[in-house]
Amino acid sequence: MASVKLNNIKKRFGDVDVLHGIDLDIKDGEFVVLIGESGCGKSTLLRLLSGLEDITEGDLYIDEERVNGRSPAKRGIAMVFQSYALYPHMNVFKNMAFGLKISGKDKAFVNNKVMEAAKKLKIDHLLERLPRELSGGQRQRVAIGRAIVRDPKVFLFDEPLSNLDASLRVQTRVELGKLHQELKATVVYVTHDQVEAMTLGDKIVVMNKGRVEQVGAPLDLYHHPKTQFVAAFIGSPKMNFLTAKISQPDPENTQLVLESGRVVQACVDTSSLNKGDLVQIGIRPEHIALECEHNTVEGTVTLIEHLGELSYLYIEIGQEGEMVLKVDGDNQHQAGDKITFGIQPNRLYLFDHQGKALTRVNAHTSAAIPL
Amino acid sequence: MKLFSRFMPSSGMRQVPKSVTIHAVLLAYTVIALFPIIVVVINSFKERRAIFRDPLGLPDSSSFTLVGFEQVLLRSDFGLYSWNSLVVTILAVGLVLLLGAMAAWALTEYKFKGNLLITFLFAMGIMIPIRLGTVSILSLMVNLNLVNTLTALVLVYIAQGLPLAVYILSEFVRTIPKELTEAARCDSVSEYKIFFCVILPLLKPAMATVAVFTMIPIWNDLWFPLILAPGEETRTITLGVQQFVGQYVTDWNSVLSALTLAIVPVLILYTIFSRQLIRGLTSGAVK
Amino acid sequence: MNPSNQHDEKKPFPWHLVFFLGPGLLIYVIFSVYPLLDTLVLSLYNEQQGQSHFVGLQNFITLITDDAWSHAFWNALSNNFTFFAIHMLVQNPIGLILAVLLSSPKLRLSGTYRTLIFMPTMLSVVIIGFVWQLLLSPIWGISENFLYSIGLGEYFDAWLGKESSALITLAFISVWQFVGIPMMLIYATLLNIPDDIVDASVVDGANSFQTFWHIKLPLILPTIAMVSILTFVANFNAFELIYAVKGALAGPNFSTDLMGTFFYRTFFGFQLQQGSASMGAAVATLMFLIILVGVMLFLFFIQRRIQRFQF
Repeated sequence: MASVKLNNIKKRFGDVDVLHGIDLDIKDGEFVVLIGESGCGKSTLLRLLSGLEDITEGDLYIDEERVNGRSPAKRGIAMVFQSYALYPHMNVFKNMAFGLKISGKDKAFVNNKVMEAAKKLKIDHLLERLPRELSGGQRQRVAIGRAIVRDPKVFLFDEPLSNLDASLRVQTRVELGKLHQELKATVVYVTHDQVEAMTLGDKIVVMNKGRVEQVGAPLDLYHHPKTQFVAAFIGSPKMNFLTAKISQPDPENTQLVLESGRVVQACVDTSSLNKGDLVQIGIRPEHIALECEHNTVEGTVTLIEHLGELSYLYIEIGQEGEMVLKVDGDNQHQAGDKITFGIQPNRLYLFDHQGKALTRVNAHTSAAIPL
Repeated sequence: MKLFSRFMPSSGMRQVPKSVTIHAVLLAYTVIALFPIIVVVINSFKERRAIFRDPLGLPDSSSFTLVGFEQVLLRSDFGLYSWNSLVVTILAVGLVLLLGAMAAWALTEYKFKGNLLITFLFAMGIMIPIRLGTVSILSLMVNLNLVNTLTALVLVYIAQGLPLAVYILSEFVRTIPKELTEAARCDSVSEYKIFFCVILPLLKPAMATVAVFTMIPIWNDLWFPLILAPGEETRTITLGVQQFVGQYVTDWNSVLSALTLAIVPVLILYTIFSRQLIRGLTSGAVK
Repeated sequence: MNPSNQHDEKKPFPWHLVFFLGPGLLIYVIFSVYPLLDTLVLSLYNEQQGQSHFVGLQNFITLITDDAWSHAFWNALSNNFTFFAIHMLVQNPIGLILAVLLSSPKLRLSGTYRTLIFMPTMLSVVIIGFVWQLLLSPIWGISENFLYSIGLGEYFDAWLGKESSALITLAFISVWQFVGIPMMLIYATLLNIPDDIVDASVVDGANSFQTFWHIKLPLILPTIAMVSILTFVANFNAFELIYAVKGALAGPNFSTDLMGTFFYRTFFGFQLQQGSASMGAAVATLMFLIILVGVMLFLFFIQRRIQRFQF
């Protein structure tokens, strides 16, 4: 196992800058998730780590050793591809053994390694099968097995769950988490699914347009997004955003006016801004409460989605547009109902016109719905 | 520095020799492929003496001549030959595409008795060359009074081209989602309209591939023109060149010019359409 | 629902089937299937003074054993196998190498190379035959001078004119012309191999040769098999090149005779020998059987063992 260090890594394809200088420290045994929208450079970054793509500028260290220009096998990495990339003409055993055989390991050793990994992944009864005779979940395991047998220093996963159906995805996600704890391996995992990122990652790297937007532990990103982008990306349903004007800048208790003229209080330091500056208010659906008396807003329910233990209410609030509320599953609202709801001032986020988060004061950081 | 790095593979020195080797091999083979053609074309513009003295030199003001071409056009009817080839090729390819698409559609879309047999019959035609039936084709054409007509060639070439066309187009029809035709049938669109308005437009890319595979052998064929239509009036360009070169084999200017006249139009067309053509060839229609 | 209800609505005659399938099938049957079957039947007859009568396998026995015929027949057949062998051993390996080189990742100009190398394949065999006849002609001397310039001058010979070398030379001309076909087919298959699979083998530590040998080659094997059977059929179809360069007599001394030219001579006659439709049909039937056996062997022994891969 090993640590990985990225020092101002840049990547250009022709004249197009894809990565603009990525710095990142990955500790030994850490599970790091790279997340972002498609085209943000996360997969390219993974390919740079693997050695499949050349680094244009910057240094990459694995285990304190600079590995730029070194071939993938010599970096001690193993990769699991989104498509699994199993060799279609080889059976499961040969698929898993290929890397070891190529490196000239003797037969007994190869057999042992493959059997051991196959048992761990519960695919030891499939060794004679061809990839096309396997289900999606089984292929996925073989792809992971192929990575495990080589005892890599770093595992690289490229959206490994995105080809599985929903229920299998959850199951495999849990197994991946357990596997990581068992192997204590260093993992770099690319996904665009924030639930995967939150549940699996020790550390999440949110990427946007070839830059690192924020790095942090899952809850850290959830509670303290540094930018509007991160705030919008983490959490489901997405954070609600409303445009507002600052009517009273203040170091701890800012007063804002919505387009409709409603006044909102927020426990955010806006001393750096001026009166009249436009900001975005961010409100998580789970932080809105029907019984709350602060910052109350009225609206009309347009749609209810029942998920069982909770429901999402879509509410039209006039000029400001639509908001989503997460409410208890047994609420009795119906489409067309007029309702009033509120948000605690210390639950609000503010983002300036560049999308940077303003500092919150006495921020409430419990995920529970406030009453 | 920036300029330099743009021309160097970014992984550094290790890969440079490899890509240089690849380019060297491909370039060498390209020269081998083109050299004979180029030699013939440049010498067709040279005087007889220059052809022998300096076969690899380009024609200059003293050696340049068009006498070969004049001779060719004087002694034979190249315009007519080209026209004949064009007519035969266009008619045959057009009909192969239309009839092939219709047959492919019928064989893949409808279930009926004999479907399998007919599919098999067409499949056999891919492997068994139609030439083997020449003896009977000739007597058939004699009976139909079609010897020395372009119609005979067109009919035979349709029969020659159909099997592969049906095969490729059937594979392609299978990839068209069933929902499309089912939706149309729910709107009670007629089967004819479904084919001509929905399916045929979708088959266009596959038809381009089929056109390429069908066209080249027809244009270049010597066998059937030689046997079915050797007359002066119906001679195709390939047969015309063959006869001409056979007749004037010692007249180097004429021979080179005749070959050039046969080569250059094809190469011009090829250069214009090569992109589509190669896309057709590599599109996986021949899996 | 009463099951008899289904019979109430009588299905109309499928006119659309006749419309779609009729014209194509009609032309195909009349001008390809029928002549082929008729040829097979004709090969069992003999015509004399406009009268034809059934002679069973006599034509074939004559072909294979009669001194006047058998020598020419076996000669053409064995030449044809030589011709085929040279294509298999030279054309297809070169095509494979070119395809692999063309498909190397991030190769500049690969489109240009591809277009230019495929160029000769577009031209008529007849034209190509004449072009090479001129190039190899000792009168013109281009090849001779070229060989001298690279120090191999003394090896030059009038290859096309010599009994020992004419066939091989013609085979090489054909290889030169048609190398584009295996190249393109294999190249297309190589492009279809997902990048991920190649990447996976690189991550597994394979160098480019190992990736080719263990991963790509097995995946293009079905295409190579198909190219082989296409080569086989095409070689038994070969006629133009020999006819253009050497004429129907396939000289010198029939050393370049292939089944195609033999068929043509048998049917149309040459010099003193009269052409014979039934003997021509017998030759065609034998060619038909050889191709059939070749294709069957291919289907049963090779195609079956090679799996096609879905990516």
